[in-house]
This record gives sequence, C-alpha cells and structure tokens, in this order.
Amino acid sequence: MPDSTGKRFKPTKYIPVSTAATLLVGSTTLFFVFTCPWLAKVISPAVPLYNGVVFLFVLANFSMATFMDPGVYPRADEDEDKDDDFRAPLYKNVEIKGIQVRMKWCATCHFYRPPRCSHCSVCDNCVEDFDHHCPWVNNCIGRRNYRYFFLFLLSLSVHMINVFSFGLIFVLHHRERLSALHTTVTLVVMCIPGLFFIPVVGLTGFHMVLVARGRTTNEQVTGKFRGGVNPFTKGCCGNVEYVLCSPLAPRYMLDPRKKPHIKIQPPFIRPDLSDRQITIKVSDNGIHGTIVSSKSKNSLDVLDEKEIQPPLPPKADRYNFKSQLTSTEDGSLSGKTHPSTPAMYKYRPSFSTMPKVHYHNSREKIMMGEERKTSAILEEGVRGHDYRSEPNLDLPEYTNAPLHRTFQSSPLQLDADPVNSRSLSLKQAQRRSEKGHLTGLQPQTVTSTPYKSVFSPNTLSNRNGSLSYDSLLNPSISPGNASECMAHRGMPSMGFHSPYLPTKMCHIREPEIQRQQVTTTYSPVMPVRVGRQSPHQRDRDPSPVRYDNLSQTIMASIQERKEMEEREKRHMFHGRSQPHIYAQDSGVFDGAGGYGLPPSGCYPDGTRSRGPTPPAYSGSRDNLMGVGLVNYGQRTPVLRHGGSTMGRALRTSSTSLHTDHSSSNSSQGRATEGYRSPTHQPHSPIVPRSPSYSHYKLSYMNALERTDSPRLGAPRETKIVNGQRDCHPGAHGTPLSPSRHNNVKKMTGIGGTTYEISV
Amino acid sequence: MATEFHNLQELRHSASLATRVFVQRDYSEGTVCRFQSKFPSELDNRIERSLLEETVKTLNSYYTEAEKIGGQSYMEGCLACATAYFVFLCMETRYEKVLKKISGYIQEQNEKIYAPRGLLLTDPIERGMRVLEISVFEDHGCSSSSPSSSSSSSSSSSSMSSACSAAR
Repeated sequence: MPDSTGKRFKPTKYIPVSTAATLLVGSTTLFFVFTCPWLAKVISPAVPLYNGVVFLFVLANFSMATFMDPGVYPRADEDEDKDDDFRAPLYKNVEIKGIQVRMKWCATCHFYRPPRCSHCSVCDNCVEDFDHHCPWVNNCIGRRNYRYFFLFLLSLSVHMINVFSFGLIFVLHHRERLSALHTTVTLVVMCIPGLFFIPVVGLTGFHMVLVARGRTTNEQVTGKFRGGVNPFTKGCCGNVEYVLCSPLAPRYMLDPRKKPHIKIQPPFIRPDLSDRQITIKVSDNGIHGTIVSSKSKNSLDVLDEKEIQPPLPPKADRYNFKSQLTSTEDGSLSGKTHPSTPAMYKYRPSFSTMPKVHYHNSREKIMMGEERKTSAILEEGVRGHDYRSEPNLDLPEYTNAPLHRTFQSSPLQLDADPVNSRSLSLKQAQRRSEKGHLTGLQPQTVTSTPYKSVFSPNTLSNRNGSLSYDSLLNPSISPGNASECMAHRGMPSMGFHSPYLPTKMCHIREPEIQRQQVTTTYSPVMPVRVGRQSPHQRDRDPSPVRYDNLSQTIMASIQERKEMEEREKRHMFHGRSQPHIYAQDSGVFDGAGGYGLPPSGCYPDGTRSRGPTPPAYSGSRDNLMGVGLVNYGQRTPVLRHGGSTMGRALRTSSTSLHTDHSSSNSSQGRATEGYRSPTHQPHSPIVPRSPSYSHYKLSYMNALERTDSPRLGAPRETKIVNGQRDCHPGAHGTPLSPSRHNNVKKMTGIGGTTYEISV
Repeated sequence: MATEFHNLQELRHSASLATRVFVQRDYSEGTVCRFQSKFPSELDNRIERSLLEETVKTLNSYYTEAEKIGGQSYMEGCLACATAYFVFLCMETRYEKVLKKISGYIQEQNEKIYAPRGLLLTDPIERGMRVLEISVFEDHGCSSSSPSSSSSSSSSSSSMSSACSAAR
C-alpha cells in the first residue's frame, strides 16, 4: 500500500546524484593519491589519516542520506479514509502547544498529513518531518535521515576545506613545478572544492540555522512560522540535541511480517452494565420483547434480562415495557437511580415485591444512570403498568418504548423517582388492593433485586394481577404502606394514570386528590407525582397517591420534584408529541371539570405547581397514554396517538373516573370519574404528563366501563381516588377535600420528592 | 459427495469484520508519539473504558520511552558515527527494541482482552504511527456452514472465523 505504483526508470533523476558521487569520490581519491603522500612525508602522517577519517565520515553520511528511508508514510487503508475522502475538509486543525496547526488532507495518501509532514512530488510519498527533496542524494530528507544529511553537509564542508587547504599547501610548495603531474592534479582537485565551496558551505550554514531554530527547510521556505511562533521548537540546545542525539526513528514501510494469528471467535464478551448505562429491559412477554438498551455497557445484562421476560406474567410485561423504555435513554438512569432509591427506601421500606421486574431493573439502572430523565420516564412507564394492573389485558400493549424513555429520565430527576414511578405503576396495579403505596417501588427493593428477579412471575403477580410497584420493587412490601402512598408522587395507582407520568400524575393527581376529597375516598396514597418516582412511592400500593393524603413535607418534596421533573421533561419531550397531547389533556381535563369532583379549580393550583415536572415524562406520556389505553381496554391505538382521541376518551373516561372517584374507594363508577377529573384538571401545568394521565384515565375508564372488570373494579373500589390507586385511607388520614386546592401542602416524600398536597 | 457433516465447530458463530475504529494521535505536545486517550464512542458497548484507556496509556508510555533523548541515545549515536553506521547492520536500535516490546504487548492485549470482545488492535507502526486501529468484529451467528468453510482459521493474518461469510 505504501509505495507508489507505476514508477518508471528515469535516468535523469540520477544525474545529480551521480555527479555528486563521482566528484566526491573521484576528487578525494585523487587527493589521496597525489597529494597526501607528500603531505604525510613533509608535514605529518596524521594528515592523511585525518583526511581519511573525514572522508569516511562524509561517505557514510552521504550513503545514509541517500539510501535511508526518510520516514515515508504508508498509504492509508480504505477503511481509514472512507469517511474522509470525499466529504472531508481540506484542512483539519490541531492544537500543538497552544498553537493551531493545520493538517492538510493528502489526496494521494488518503490521510490528513500529520504536523510537519509533507508530500514529496518527486518520490510521491508523504514524508514525516519533511525537510526537502535533495537531488544530490536523490532522496527526500525527512525525520529519519535528516541527521545524516546534516552531518553529511557538515562533514562535506570540512572535507572540502581540508582538501582545498592541503592542496594549497602542496601547490605552494610545488610552485616552481606547477606542470608536474602531482601539482597539476592537486590543482585540479583544488578547483572542485573551490567551485562547490560556496554552495555547500552556504547550505551548511543555512541548515545550521534551521537546526538551531527547530525548523525544516520546508517550513522555512514556505514561511510557515514567519512572524509567528514555532510550536515544534525546543530551544536552541534542545533542537540541536534533538537533531543529533535522538534515537533513530522507526521505519513505517515495513515488510508485512507474519503476525501471530489471533482467533476471534464469538460469543463476545460485552462490558457489564455500568452504572451509567441503564439498559432497561422491559419484557413484554413477547409483545415488546425488545430490550431497550441504553448505551450501557451492560448489554449483556440486558440481554439476559430479556430472556427472562417471556415467562413473566402479563403484568410483568407491563413493567417490562417500562424498563425497556428506560433503556432507551442511555442508561443513565440506572446508575443514578440507585443512589436515589435509598431515599425511597427510607420511606418505604416495605415495598412489596415489585410486580414488575422491569421496574426493578430499570430502576436499578436508573439509579446508576445519570440521566434522571430517563429514569423518570421509566418510572412513569412503570407506573403505568401499575395502573394497569388490570391483569394483563393491557400489558401486551404496552410497548412502551417511549414509556421507557420517560421512565428513565424521571428516576434521575427524582431521586427515587424511578422507584416511585415504578411504584406508582405498581401501585396502580395494586391500587385496588393495596395500600396504594408506592412504597412498593422502594428503591431498595429495586436495587437489591436483581433484574431478573424482578421479572419473576411471582412478584409480578402478587398483586391482583396488577403490576404494582410494590410487588415489583419490593416483594415484601406490605400493602400497608398506605401512608407512604401518600407520598407517592401521584402514583397512578389510581389506576388511571399512566405510570409514565409520574410527575404528571402528581399534577393530575392533585386535582384528583382534591376531587377525591370531595368524593371522599381519597386515598391519600400517593401524591400525584407519578413522575417522581421517588421515594414517595414507598408504599407501592395500588392506590394512587393523593395529595390530600400526603403530609406536608411530602407535598413539599413532591412539589420540588415535580418542578424538577417538569424541567427535565421539557427537555426530553421537546420532540415529542406531547404538545398536542398536552393540549389534549388540558382540554380534556378542563372538560372534566364537571365530573362531580371538585372543580378543576381545585387542582389547577396543585397541578400547576407541578407543571415543571412533566417534562421528564413527556416522552413517557405518550407511552403512558398508550399504555394506559392498553391497559384499559385496548385503546392503545387511540390513546396512543391521538391526543384528540385521548381527549375525548379522557373526557369520557374522566367522567367515569370521576364517577369513580366520587364513589371514592368503593364506588367505582363515581370514583373513577372523580378520579379522573382531578387529574385532568391539573393537567395544564403538567402538560407533559397529562397525556399519560388521560390515557390512564381513559384506560381506566374503559376498564371500568367496559369491563367493570374485576381487576378494574376491584382496585377501583378500593381505592382509586384520583385515579390513584386506592390509597390507604389510613395512611394519609385526611381525605382529600374538595377544597384542597385552597391550600397546597408541600410534603417531602421519599427521596426528597416533594408532593404538593392540596389540603 | 456424502452428506455434509456439520460438526459443532461449524455451527458455531463466526465473526466478521464490521468496522474499524481509529484512535488518533495526540499532537498536543508536539510530534512525539502519543495517542489520544479519548474513548471512541463506537466502542461504548464493546469494551470497558478503563481497559482501552489502560492500553493506550501503556502504549503511550512505551513510545515515550522509545523516543527519550538520553544517555542511551547518545551512546548509540556516537557508536554509530564511530563505526560509520555499520553498527546498524549488526545491532538493533533502542527504538526497535521498544517497538518489539510494543508489538508483544499488543499481541498479548489482543489475546487476553480484545479478541474475546470481538476487537482487534493493530500495531500503530503498520499505519505509520498515525492511528491506533481497532477492528471491530460482529457476531454473525451463522448456524451452519459447509465443512470446508468451517470456522477454522482463515487465511488472513488474523484468523477470523469466517464460516458464515464464507459459507454464504
């Protein structure tokens, strides 16, 4: 590859070198033959010796300069320049010791010439540290042979001076017999150095200056550093030392040598999932069997997990989705969320098994990851699952890749959000049954449980077929974490909100919660902050967290969290269709005001405050919406895509939800509606989340309406307050009152999530 | 032609070259040979950062040692001058010695770390010390192949199982 092809023998290029060689050798030989004997005799035998040594030195250096590879770069492989050849800019800048140096693209050699490299047109090669092409040696002078060229020049100058001087002495002593042979020859010999003295010595002096300044001829004559700073100089002494004493540089144009064979045989090891990368696999039981791997290096882990998914019950699938979602974003989540989870744990140590394995993973991942957003998304997604808890009917539809994403982000944001979100979803799943504690999502559970284990069917199914965070996250979560539910950020466990919108949920929840208060059975389970995945979720009850029920601190933390989430969500959701969803939701929600729950006025305050949170979930929202739909009744297509549809659906659903709400935990119909409306209302602030909420609601509604299915109904009855799973009434104590919107309490939940609870 | 027997060897996965990742030179300190320690993003899910960084760091240290101007390089230069550079015919220079060390190191790294991950480091000297080339192989997972094209070593310098591709 390196050498140029098609070289033909050109005799003309050998003329200078031949001439130089001939003159050098010839004249010196004559000098030695005709002049030196007399000099040895008359002056000293050391004279010829000295001259001999010098001549030998000259010859050696001349040979080295002529025959040594100057540092030719081999041509680049095609692979190396496949991106560069046509679209590459001509120059590439690189900074050397603070000075910008331009590297030019060499079209012949197909690479960007390294600094100080130049392409020799005579040799048709790029040469490292290219100095010049010397015709007298018929070779380029580059990095490897510059020293020898320089020494050649030096020694040649000395040699010429020697020959001329000693010849002059001889001639002067033989003035009277100038016509004698020796004298004549000596005279002739003297003429040659005399003739070439000035060019050679001039060149020698020139190069001495170059060496002292650390420049090459090429740089000097092209004026590269004229008036500027030479980044390659090492100081005068350093430069001299570099030229004379540096080790001989290696040759690049090597013969292809035999390299030992290295067997590359799959399967290949993949790096472990680093904390940064979260690969959240959401096993959808084959439906969404895609593992969304974040760029984590733990692809292997992810893969492994994937396999586990199929056996999971449908519920698990839901969660799986979520986790998958999580993985979409680069797993920052995983790493990150972990640390956050502990906070959650503290709140909700009793998370029951996480129904969703996925969550677990995602959560884990999330913790590891840096991106909270993703985790958040995950959580949202997870939560959605929770909601769904309906026994898997909906699960398959989750496919929530977007959900995952949402999820992922969220955890990060909210420390324990991922967990929370999961718990939310879990809760939702559980809403009916449990305590709606988001605690289920406890981080600890998540983190501790291996990914695989999360998926274990057992955990998943521990809740009435609902994927409750609790079960997912913490198999041991006791449903009794009702109190924690409150802190949940709006675990959608209410069953209507998509788990994916933790934050939104929060917002939504608020109104819902408030509504619930009206309706009475607010289960304070969790703050709506679905997105918050946070520690609030401690209680992974299916029952949604209701703001009402949350303590002040929790609410405060919820609020903070929401804001953060929203901010993040905004980032995340930019590209999403959220906007329209938002609109939808808002619309829907607004419309839901008439549900019989407290007017949206109640919630707006709360929800608005949560506005910021959604951003993280925006992505998830989409998913959530879809998910929610799926869960509830295969509305997936509708819900997923159409905000409008959703809106309508939401309206309907919200109505029903509201109804449900009204009935509070017990009455489905009312409860649902009431449940929903609050969520709707607060949507405005939570725009990003709202879609999911609406989805959830929708699905919820559907579930309720359609099926009245036990799964829906049951959980509903128990708790759904604001679409949040039924919370443990006891936990929060105060049922949400319609007037909650008047005072919004901020409570800090697990992981520092702030919940806004309208009291 | 009897039925072809497909032994397990043939049925295993084979790898084929997918892409090449290049670690460029770091010229921030001049023309001394250093490679960037920036981790190429394409390898994000193939190898841990620390491993590659460690490899690059070690290579950089080797090159620094090779190019060091000090006592040994003085002696070599003087000896070379004194012998009219005939010493180069007999003895290998310090740089060449270090290059051999580097080559051995890369070989060892390939065997231990990179090949199991489907990667292959190419000695920078083969690329003119401009880049450190990392070949990335993908597992094509071919299921069966003719016996002749089984995954036994292929011809190229680095043997890759090319059963799949060959079979195809």
